[in-house]
Amino acid sequence: MKRFLIACFLFVVMANVYATPEQDRLALREFFSQRFPDLDLNEMINGLYAFDEGAREQWIEMEDFPPYEIAIEEGEEAFVVPFANGKSYADCFENGGMGIKQNYPRFDTDSGELITLEYAINKCRTDNGEEPLPWLTGELAAISAYMAYTSRGNKMNVVIPDDPRALQAYESGKEYYYTRRGQLEFACENCHMQSANNLLRADRLSGMLGQATHWPVYRSKWGETGTLHKRFMECNVQVRAKPYEAQSQVYRELEYFLSYMSNGMEMNGPASRR
Amino acid sequence: MKTKLTLLISALMTGLLLHTFAMAADADEYMAALTKAQQTLREAETKVQLWSTSEILLKDAEKAAASGDFELAVMLANEATLQGELAVATAEREKKTWQNVVPK
Repeated sequence: MKRFLIACFLFVVMANVYATPEQDRLALREFFSQRFPDLDLNEMINGLYAFDEGAREQWIEMEDFPPYEIAIEEGEEAFVVPFANGKSYADCFENGGMGIKQNYPRFDTDSGELITLEYAINKCRTDNGEEPLPWLTGELAAISAYMAYTSRGNKMNVVIPDDPRALQAYESGKEYYYTRRGQLEFACENCHMQSANNLLRADRLSGMLGQATHWPVYRSKWGETGTLHKRFMECNVQVRAKPYEAQSQVYRELEYFLSYMSNGMEMNGPASRR
Repeated sequence: MKTKLTLLISALMTGLLLHTFAMAADADEYMAALTKAQQTLREAETKVQLWSTSEILLKDAEKAAASGDFELAVMLANEATLQGELAVATAEREKKTWQNVVPK
């Protein structure tokens, strides 16, 4: 009897410490359901505009002539230009690269690599003898914006395959998200869960759910369209933590976790934000 | 007269020698502070916790040392060490506590 009780106790402890990704995702949705009982959680793909009616109206008006439109056009033009060897981006991706952003990041069980969409775009270039593009803005962000645009309306569908390396990558991203860091000792969680919908000076903070569905983003602050990792770097700097390189293992793992948490939510990239 | 001149030169030489020793001591102190700071920041970086401000302090310390201001250089290097130690402390604490805030 004593052994049985100990086993039960250990099971409960282990189950709490080592929740599966799907348990994490459902618990996160429950967290936001309780925090915002009147909010349709699917609206959270629109970031702060899910909370702030006034800002939402301005944003909807801006969407009549969206500032990221140029990036989509430039991205489409760049996407169809063949490489020097005659191949093109379409040859590197399933379905010719159209409507696939919801599947990224994906874990490649053959190579053991965690592959974000931007990582895959540059890998496509280098595999075909081309120079990689800068990660944060410009042509790479434009191609990503175009591919995101073709994926609009699809549901986020990030998969963690039955491979301990994939689960480890997810867990590392999760740990990063919930760990306080930097001189200000802020975790991602402090702003985007505890303080979601609160004002940080003049800015309303978005919630974590849906944060991975709408990238790349044209930020008025940047004056251009940039990638999610550019935002990660900015967040790190804001809490005075040393940022990592874009597409570093740390950021790819963070994106993996963040994207999995948005599974089932509608893809709506590219988007515009303040 | 000759004795006075000899004494004056001796005093100047002694002063110059002491100043050189003082400078050497400061430079050594700076090198020690720099090494300690670098080690601490490396540890913070390994623990994914380096602050964005710490390496700037080290660069400023190097500049101060290059201009001969070892007092300032040591102070800046020590400040970087302190930041590194605080970052490591955060890392060690968070390693034990981050799970507490995950929704279950």
